[in-house]
Amino acid sequence: MALDQFCDVVQRCQALQADSYTTEDHDVFMIAGRSCIEEGHSAQMLSIVLDDTNQELVRCMGWNLLPPLVQVLLKKDDKNLPHCLAIFNHLLETCRPKELLIGLLEQLEQEEPVAIAESLHLLLKPLQRVLLRLGSRKASSLGMALSSALEQVAKLPVPHTKEQEEDDIFLLGRCCSDLTAFVKPFVQEAERELCKGDSKASASSKKSAKLDGVSLDQEELRTELLKFCMSTLCRPLLEVQLNDPDALALSPLRDLATDILNNLNAIGESTTSLVYQPLSKRKEAAGFLEEEVRYPKESLASLAHLVFVHHLAADTFPCVFNPVFCLRCNMDHVSLLLSRSADLKIQKGLELYEKCLVRVEDNSLPSELLQMKTFLTVPQNLTKVMTICPRHDLRRKGLKVFQLSIDKFNLEAKYNFFKFMLKTSHHSGVEGYIIKNIRSQIDLALRPGNANIWFEGFRLPPLLQLVFTLADGPETDLLQYLDRIMEALNLLRYLIIRDKVTENKTGIWTALYKIEDVFLKPLRVGINMSRAHYERELSTTTTENKNNVKETSVISVSVGDEKLPSMTSESQIQALHSALHTFDMMESVLVRIEELTEVKSSI
Amino acid sequence: MADEPVREWNDEQLKSDDLPKKDLIKFIQDNAAHSFLNEHRLLGNIKNVAKTAKKEQLIVAYNELFASNRFKGTEPVEEVTKQVKAVKIDEKPKEVKVEVVDEGPPKFTKATLKKGDKTNFPKKGNTVSCWYTGTLEDGTVFDTNIPSAARKKKQTKPLSFKVGMGRVIRGWDEGLLTMSKGETARLEIEPEWAYGKKGLPESKIPPNAKLIFEVELVAVD
Repeated sequence: MALDQFCDVVQRCQALQADSYTTEDHDVFMIAGRSCIEEGHSAQMLSIVLDDTNQELVRCMGWNLLPPLVQVLLKKDDKNLPHCLAIFNHLLETCRPKELLIGLLEQLEQEEPVAIAESLHLLLKPLQRVLLRLGSRKASSLGMALSSALEQVAKLPVPHTKEQEEDDIFLLGRCCSDLTAFVKPFVQEAERELCKGDSKASASSKKSAKLDGVSLDQEELRTELLKFCMSTLCRPLLEVQLNDPDALALSPLRDLATDILNNLNAIGESTTSLVYQPLSKRKEAAGFLEEEVRYPKESLASLAHLVFVHHLAADTFPCVFNPVFCLRCNMDHVSLLLSRSADLKIQKGLELYEKCLVRVEDNSLPSELLQMKTFLTVPQNLTKVMTICPRHDLRRKGLKVFQLSIDKFNLEAKYNFFKFMLKTSHHSGVEGYIIKNIRSQIDLALRPGNANIWFEGFRLPPLLQLVFTLADGPETDLLQYLDRIMEALNLLRYLIIRDKVTENKTGIWTALYKIEDVFLKPLRVGINMSRAHYERELSTTTTENKNNVKETSVISVSVGDEKLPSMTSESQIQALHSALHTFDMMESVLVRIEELTEVKSSI
Repeated sequence: MADEPVREWNDEQLKSDDLPKKDLIKFIQDNAAHSFLNEHRLLGNIKNVAKTAKKEQLIVAYNELFASNRFKGTEPVEEVTKQVKAVKIDEKPKEVKVEVVDEGPPKFTKATLKKGDKTNFPKKGNTVSCWYTGTLEDGTVFDTNIPSAARKKKQTKPLSFKVGMGRVIRGWDEGLLTMSKGETARLEIEPEWAYGKKGLPESKIPPNAKLIFEVELVAVD
């Protein structure tokens, strides 16, 4: 039935010119033709489609047959496959490229991962053929094809372990290889034209070369390829943990990454200037996309990570740059990655930061760097990672990198950095850590031969002023500020022991009366008040427990829709004991300080 | 003692375009003694060596290797080490002058190989463009941006950067400020003004490495 209808419309149209085909002709051709293929009449279809007298018709309407043909080709073991493949290939050569493109791109859209991977694998090569037929006007069509392909790839689950990457059950690896092969001829074309353009430009003036119509097409082509590379850098590359060759010898994902870097170099966007972009003013890109759209920040961060942590395309990267310059440029990328919530992006930010820091000598970074905004935002982002990131290993790594960054600053920079952190971190644990660092620096400065002007002498008291404070005076919540207060007390005790009254290298003996006023006295009061309060709480709770009186709480805490059970009396009592113990600990250090002060002052 | 390596290619095959330089280099690197490689400047990353060595040179080296039987394992280690220490980079053409730049203890030296225009000297902040090759003291090429003649298709631009701003290693910043447009010079940079105690392990620069750069200053903006 369908075959008859199809033969009818073909015969009828043989006599007509292409512009006389009616809408009905189009519809019948499409509907009957599709049914024929679905019903398996592929042999007859093939002979009709190949017939010389039908070529005008095929060129005009043939592309409508793509959907059922592709379905057959995807089934792979269908007996109609050879004929359908022949029809398919003929259509690719005969029909209008733009229409074929639309038809093929429609077939790319799938929902299931396996279907996505299979249709990409099948259709990328035909798409390539069709695009190459477009000649110099291919740029926007290429762009469309690339963004559709990437959209599909973005739907595939990414591997989380080396084993998953090896197994590649969702075929992301194969898709990456397919993409690499797909884009190759276009990159090569862009590269060739760029070389030609360069040699022309060096012969005549650069301006005249730009006005050339052909160059405009090439500019568009390069722009589309740049868009593709930038997109790929974000997804999937930024969202995947790449394995190095010694961990995983064969990795299509890593190959894709390397390929992208080489492609960028080939189209005239050297990886060197892309990585170092934040600090250099890039020349205005002639027209198509604005700077930030053209070079999305996340893509650049991903690029930096690939170059500096994975050393991909290392042979194209010059070994002449100053490690401090390298660090300065990467701070932008680190800041961005650390500000994201995705664990993997945070991890990459930490890795990139660490890699840059290690290349710099200890005690070498000058204080001027702290005038750069990123040198302040990075520690702030790092603080968030260290304190609230759910993953324990990232918190730990964050702390390690934080200390590493401190070690690289020179003395003046350390001094200013400590001041900055004490003023802005608003987190007791971090402040405590900084105070511990201050103590190390003072200790170093006091050793013979290390005297410096930052951690002893007249500059020290202003810094210490920031250390010996209580946020709310005597009413300060001592438990909340425990870390900070304990470190401050430890520092004070250290200074009193270490610095002789007669020498007063650290200025502590002159500052002591003020510290007593502003810090020690309110602290003593605070401890007494808190202790009294908690002791009362303890006795109340113990009594209630004995009498089995359950106090209904006015507050409840729920996590993820589940209400947490209220603390049992036993836990409450335990917590209260622990609080009291803490106050005892604080007080013991206070007392010790007083003892030492008396002893030393009386000498 | 391992069997001696066998010739893989005859003369015709060697001269043919079908045989890529990289294959030839790999063969020679795999089979030749260290001192042989050093003398023929075939040490280092294959890609870099391919950039700086001509096919004819490689064919000559290949034939030399079989003529002299200087394969791997034919020289005792101490002998090789002694030879490596004694090897000097001595193939440079006429050295016009050697300048020892005096800034406290000198941390680099410059030997002009080709004079520049002596008028256009870059100032701090200018953008300079240069072709360069970097080698270690033992001759290993660790970096270069010079496109070899056969690869003219690959568009490679000279390296451009703002000079005197601490963006590159100090030896370069200081050295390039003393060069004029068109000049080619050999800069020998002490580790303190290069990569110092850390080196750049992933780029084959060991700790405390003295670096030798042949630099051509192409443009000054």
